[in-house]
Formats: sequence, C-alpha cells, structure tokens
Amino acid sequence: MKKLLALGLSLALTLSLSACGGDAPQDQSKTSDPSAPAAPSDLEYVKDTGTPKIGYTDFAPQDQSKTSEPPAPAAPSDLEYVKDTGTLKIGYTDFAPMNYTNESGEFVGFETEFATAVCEKLALTPEFVEINWDSKTMELESKRIDCIWNGMTITPELQEALAIGDPYIKNYQVVVIRTADADKYKTTADLVEADLQAEAGSAGEAAIQGDENLSKAPYTSVDKQTSALLEVKAGGADACVLDFVLAGAMVGTGNYSDLMVIPDLQLSVEEYGVGFRKGSDIVPLFNKAMQALIDDGTLNQIAVKYDLGELLLANQ
Amino acid sequence: MSFMTVTKMLLESFALNCQLFLITLILSLPLGLVVAFGSMSRWKPLSWVSRFFVYIMRSTPLMLQLAIVYYLPGIVWGPAYNLPKMVAASLAFILNYAAYFSEIFRGGIQGVPAGQQEAGQVLGMTRGQIFLRVTLLQVIKRIVPPIGNEVITLVKDTSLANFIMVKEIIMMAKEFGNKAMIWPLFYTGVFFLIFNGVVTLLLSRCEKKLDYFKV
Repeated sequence: MKKLLALGLSLALTLSLSACGGDAPQDQSKTSDPSAPAAPSDLEYVKDTGTPKIGYTDFAPQDQSKTSEPPAPAAPSDLEYVKDTGTLKIGYTDFAPMNYTNESGEFVGFETEFATAVCEKLALTPEFVEINWDSKTMELESKRIDCIWNGMTITPELQEALAIGDPYIKNYQVVVIRTADADKYKTTADLVEADLQAEAGSAGEAAIQGDENLSKAPYTSVDKQTSALLEVKAGGADACVLDFVLAGAMVGTGNYSDLMVIPDLQLSVEEYGVGFRKGSDIVPLFNKAMQALIDDGTLNQIAVKYDLGELLLANQ
Repeated sequence: MSFMTVTKMLLESFALNCQLFLITLILSLPLGLVVAFGSMSRWKPLSWVSRFFVYIMRSTPLMLQLAIVYYLPGIVWGPAYNLPKMVAASLAFILNYAAYFSEIFRGGIQGVPAGQQEAGQVLGMTRGQIFLRVTLLQVIKRIVPPIGNEVITLVKDTSLANFIMVKEIIMMAKEFGNKAMIWPLFYTGVFFLIFNGVVTLLLSRCEKKLDYFKV
C-alpha cells in the first residue's frame, strides 16, 4: 500500500512539474525585455547547444478537409454498409404519435409507417431499435443504429454532428397550463412570474431560454416532457413548454384533461428531420424516396392518420 | 389498462432484473475470489494489476462502465464487435461487483489471526490445508453480512441497465408514464421489496446455519 501511495505521489509530482513547464514561453518573452542586456543572446544559446529545438504538436491536415461535405470516397461508404446488411436500423424512443405500441400491442406511429415506406422504396428491411435518446450520437457511431428517426428537431448542434435529411414536419413549442388558469396566462408576458418546466436539453427548454419574458420566470428542468405535464397537473409548476405534437396528442384528454395549450402562442418554430451518420451517402437517396412518397400522397395519408396532416411541411 | 395487465407486464420485465441479478451473482463471486487472491499475491506485478482493476471498477460510475462496454467496441473496432444488450450489461455488472466482492474476501481472509496459520505450520499442515481447513470456514462466517449488503444492492442496481436500453422494470414503468399512467412507477417498489425480502430471509438463514461456532 505504501508503495502504491508513493507511486501516486510521484506521479502527481511529475504532473505538477510538467504543468510548471507550460509556463516557460512566458519566461522567455521576459528575456527579450531590453532592460536585461546582461543575459546571453538567444542566438548564442542555440549555437552553444548546436541543435535548434523545434516545437510542434502532432496534427494532420485531414481533420480540416473533413468539414467539406462530400465524404472521402476511399472510406467504405455508409450506403454500401447498409446495403450489405440488407437492413436499415432505425433508432427510436417510445413516443406517441411518432413511434409507440398501441393498445392491441402493434408497433405503430407516424415515423414507424413513414420509415417502413421509405425502406420499401430503398429495398431495405426496417429494423426498429429502441435507443437512449441522450446517447443517440453514440448509438449512430457504434453502428447500433443507422439513423435517428423519431421526430428529431433539427438544431445547429445536431447539424454539426449528423447528416440530416430534408425536413418533413414543421413543429413548434407550446405552453401548457391548467385549464383553470386560462384567463390568467394568455401571453408570454403573463408568465414572467410563473413556475415553468421543460425537459432538460429539449427544444422546449431552448424556447424558454430564448424568449425574453419566459427566460425571467423561475424554471426547473425535468427528465422528460411527460414529467413536466404531470407536474403542471399536480400543481408543482404553473406551465410547461413542450412539443406541439406531443401536447396535441396528450393535453385535454385522459389523465391530462384538465390541462390546455395557450392558444395562438407558438415558440421557436422548428423542423423535424431524420439523422444519419456524419457524411453518410444515404441522405440523397432518403430525400429522393421521401419526395416520391410526398408526390404520390403516401406521406400525407400517414400524417393524416396520426393527426399530423397540418404539421407536414409539404402541406404548409 | 387493468391492474392485472400492468402487473403482468411489469413482472415480465422484472424477469430481466432477476436474470441480470443471477448471472452477476454466479459469475462475480468466483471472479471476486480470484481478484482477492491476486491482490494478496506475494508476486508484486499481479498484486498491482489486481488492485488497479479494483481501483478502476470502484472509482468510476457503473453507468459509465455500462456505456463503455456497450458503445466503445462498436465505435473503436466496428459494428461486428457490438455486444448484445444483456451480454454488455452482464459483463459490466460482473466486473464491477467482482471488484467489490474481492475486497470483502480480502478483508475476510486477512482478518483471520496470523497465529492460526503459524499453529497450522507447527502441526505440519501445507498452505492449502491451512486455507481449506482452518481459514475458509471462518472467512465464510465473517463475510456473510457484508456480502449480503452487496447482494441486496445488486438487486436494486440491476435497474441501471436501462441506461443501455435493457427493458427492465423501471424502464417499463416509465413507458407506462408516457401513456399517462403514474402509479406503475411507484408500484415497482413492491417487486423490489418482495425480492429483497426473500434475499434477506435467505441471508439470515445462512447466518443461522453458521451459528454453531464462534470466530
């Protein structure tokens, strides 16, 4: 045990020493100060040692070329990989009306049927894989899934990390309140002192932070949108901000019948897209297949079936 | 959805918790013993490796270990190396619990007074004989309470597997929450209470059986 401790201490010492070394360039800049002419010149010093030491870090120029869109043709293409496996692994989370199991136990939803239809056009077998939403990029990178297809709001960060197909649904955030408060809260200005909630890291949270009135209100983040609905229902919060799609499906019915959406209040209007691996060459094919489904009316049929007709971008 | 349907669905997902619990317990106990012997080894490199393993496993969150086992092989070596969910979960749990068990075993073995070993040597017993006939039974008696502690913690920890989408009971209950049913989540507590009640009874029976001698 003592040896281990000694080892750890010497390691810490080495680290702290090397941290001191990081300050060296500053010291050198001091020597160039004309007020200290007594010091030997830098040239003399280098000539003395006979070897100029050239500082560098190991970095390749490829990293920068990566940001230009078309993927390097040398790497095995994403499309070839997916065609080889014959299946498109679709990452989803259980979330009505996008992907969910209905009362008779069938796996349904707008995205479920949409993805199945696109896979048919691409001659691939869809395989739905339930994912942890917080780890969606890792799920993609480890190839446990080939795409994220689950009502994903397109954000600048996601555009950076993924290759996203053309948007197909336009969504916006709404404020949900108790029906009893209908007269109290009509605009965001009325909500300045209300207790607000939204899902941590969600588009709803971004909407609160981005709104000049809502950002002043006391705010709590919760682990998911439905938890925020429960809190408002129970009186733990006055209002929550969440997807119009989810609110439209849940608020005013069943357990949430005493809740309502503030009418004519649309926050941070956003669009849904399907996310593929960065640089994936499946995206153009996906876009073509989707356009074909829009043109022949299939996508609209599916959207209407799940009450999303008015949200479909092609219908707007 | 009726109470019976929910109970049935929760019970089905609780089977995964039980499976993970049993696999972990069966494999991490012997592995823990191996690691304990490694830590106590007089050959220093082996002792260092074992102790480093214990350090890593005890000092990082189990959730992180789950993420590493689940995602990293696929990211580093490609999709062919992705482990199935339950295999990944079992692996992370076995390694993590083996580290904790190894320290309990080490404490139990080193807690037996050195005088007894010397007495054994005086009587001409080999080291193996001393361990099996003198030390082992005392060790077992000593470690039952701390091992019991870990076993009960393990039952509850199995829920962490939902981080890598093993649809265990808590994840199932949260799905009911998505369908605006609040009570199933709280109801899951009953399953854990019953399971750990049985575990507690078994542990106290174990202790009673070992009551015929004192250490």
